[in-house]
Amino acid sequence: TLTLTSLIILTLPIITTLLQNNKTNCFLYITKTAVTYAFAISLIPTLLFIQSNQEAYISNWHWMTIHTLKLSMSFKLDFFSLTFMPIALFITWSIMEFSLWYMHSDPHINRFFKYLLLFLITMLILVSANNLLQLFMGWEGVGIMSFLLISWWHGRTDANTAALQAMLYNRIGDMGFIMMMAWFTIHLNSWEFQQIFLTNPKNTTLPLLGLLLASAGKSAQFGLHPWLPSAMEGPTPVSALLHSSTMVMAGVFTLIRFYPLMENNLTIQTSTLCLGAITTLFTAICALTQNDIKKIIALSTSSQLGLMMVTIGINQPHLAFIHMCTHAFFKAMLFLSSGSIIHNLNNEQDIRKMGGLYKTMPITSTAIIIGSLALTGMPFLTGFYSKDPIIETANMSYINTWALLITLIAVSMTASYSTRIIFFALLGQPRYPSLAQINENNPYLVNPIKRLILGSIFMGFLISMNTIPHTTPQMTMPPHLKFMALAVTLLGFTVATELNNMTHNLMFKQPSRMHTFSTMLGYYPTTIHRILPYLSLTMSQNLATTIMDSIWLEKMIPKNLTTMQKTAASLVSNQKGLMKLYFLSFLLSITLGLLIAL
Amino acid sequence: MPYIYINIILAFVISLIGTLIYRSHLISSLLCLEGMILSLFTLNALLSLNINFTLSTIVPLILLVFAACEAAVGLALLIIISNTYGLDYVQNLNLLQC
Repeated sequence: TLTLTSLIILTLPIITTLLQNNKTNCFLYITKTAVTYAFAISLIPTLLFIQSNQEAYISNWHWMTIHTLKLSMSFKLDFFSLTFMPIALFITWSIMEFSLWYMHSDPHINRFFKYLLLFLITMLILVSANNLLQLFMGWEGVGIMSFLLISWWHGRTDANTAALQAMLYNRIGDMGFIMMMAWFTIHLNSWEFQQIFLTNPKNTTLPLLGLLLASAGKSAQFGLHPWLPSAMEGPTPVSALLHSSTMVMAGVFTLIRFYPLMENNLTIQTSTLCLGAITTLFTAICALTQNDIKKIIALSTSSQLGLMMVTIGINQPHLAFIHMCTHAFFKAMLFLSSGSIIHNLNNEQDIRKMGGLYKTMPITSTAIIIGSLALTGMPFLTGFYSKDPIIETANMSYINTWALLITLIAVSMTASYSTRIIFFALLGQPRYPSLAQINENNPYLVNPIKRLILGSIFMGFLISMNTIPHTTPQMTMPPHLKFMALAVTLLGFTVATELNNMTHNLMFKQPSRMHTFSTMLGYYPTTIHRILPYLSLTMSQNLATTIMDSIWLEKMIPKNLTTMQKTAASLVSNQKGLMKLYFLSFLLSITLGLLIAL
Repeated sequence: MPYIYINIILAFVISLIGTLIYRSHLISSLLCLEGMILSLFTLNALLSLNINFTLSTIVPLILLVFAACEAAVGLALLIIISNTYGLDYVQNLNLLQC
């Protein structure tokens, strides 16, 4: 029963893509209802799993056997995939309904829905894969769909460069993934998760490093992160689906999948921890002074991803997974409400030009406030059930103090930039031109946001109550550590409110250095995007043109020889160049010699 | 001495005189140089065939190789002179000394 239901889930969306009727209007509604039914059906295995705690592996189609490596199509339905699939389907359902309103005037809306559906299918393949080949197929598929969707408005050069940037950074991560697959083939002769975890090899540093690189590329960790703020060039539903809840989770998800191997390898844990900590802090600093509302939310996603990496680094993959699931809800909702603001203000994305939406758009502003509170870990909303245990466990584990401090600072910055969004977009007097017609009456806009609000409030409680903890949570800790998360969040709130209120009265003439550091995204794209191509191009120019062509072929022997000979000849000889005379005297002397001899 | 050798040696001597005595063009000297080489080649080939010393049949070939290089060098010199002076008259060779 479990097998049939899960396969039906995967094939329901696929069937709709097979009916390639782009001309009819009801393709959109068929797609949306297909996703709705898929969500409803996917709840059945999840509920069965919650009741019985019985994991399942389905391996049905034997594809090929290459020497001793057996490749088949197999699905793994364990706690992670069974919990994540309904959540992904629910969010996709909400986003498809939202994009019925958002992309209403787009002539290619059928193609948009097809791309969204393809993305969903590849994401589900990735999540439910039992062997690395299937996971890699989902991985690549997600990357391709991300490229196609970011460059949806491909007439705009910024969108094209952003899509290329996303593709290239993903590729760099893919190299790590392929290295990991190669290592597993060579050493363990299998790509199936069961065999990898059973044999439990001892020296797993190299493949896990590859995995870390792959996750850093996919999940925008520090060093491979600039593609995520640039990917906001795509339409808002794309940002909500790909870059807040599902695709960037693929990297963290794969890391979580490999937790039995990572438990034994302290080096990888420490490097994950440090990478996550740097990412969190860096992107939170960058998010503090951005002016584009979508970029702030994108950098906030990146910061939360760093937090998940930190959680994996302290050997708590289940907490990271729960945070991933809850984060999907409120981040998608933040994106959807920002989309509603953008469309209602006539495509205005700069928060310095918004304001006073508190009274005019009540549902959207409620959504933003609830989402921001959930993001910062307000007690008893969703984020609390995932973020607070992370901070408490981090406080009590035997880890690097620097990483811990940085994570705490980043948590307070989360509160700061959320306050900034609320302050500039919702409060105060309107700063947009008064001809904007603000209308929230469309049910396609309101229903998804309402559903996600309900999800943001209750899902944390539901998920944490229904899952069996795999590691014992921290029960006892000193009170100052227990309140640490709450304290830093409140600190962030108050500081941000003070500073934002000061912007009414004070204005600085020239931004300070820290401000430009933060606004220019830490100068990272500016330096790296120019230095790396410049270095490789000059190196190749030096090798090919200068060394080979100019020096070796042209200058070294021929030209040097001619100049040497010319200077020597002009120095030494003092001939007058009377050739005929010299030849005649030569002839005369030869004949004279011959005559005398004979 | 067989008649044929005298014939060829005479051809050689005539070409030699032609190399050393020329009027105005440098290229006529180069042509006579080619004639010298041709006669030498024929002499060598006939000699090794008549004396039946088959090991020396390689000598005309080597001579030919070096003749080709030398002709190339001669032509290159001619071209450089023609580049600087415009013609290959021999009177020019003492005008602009580089």
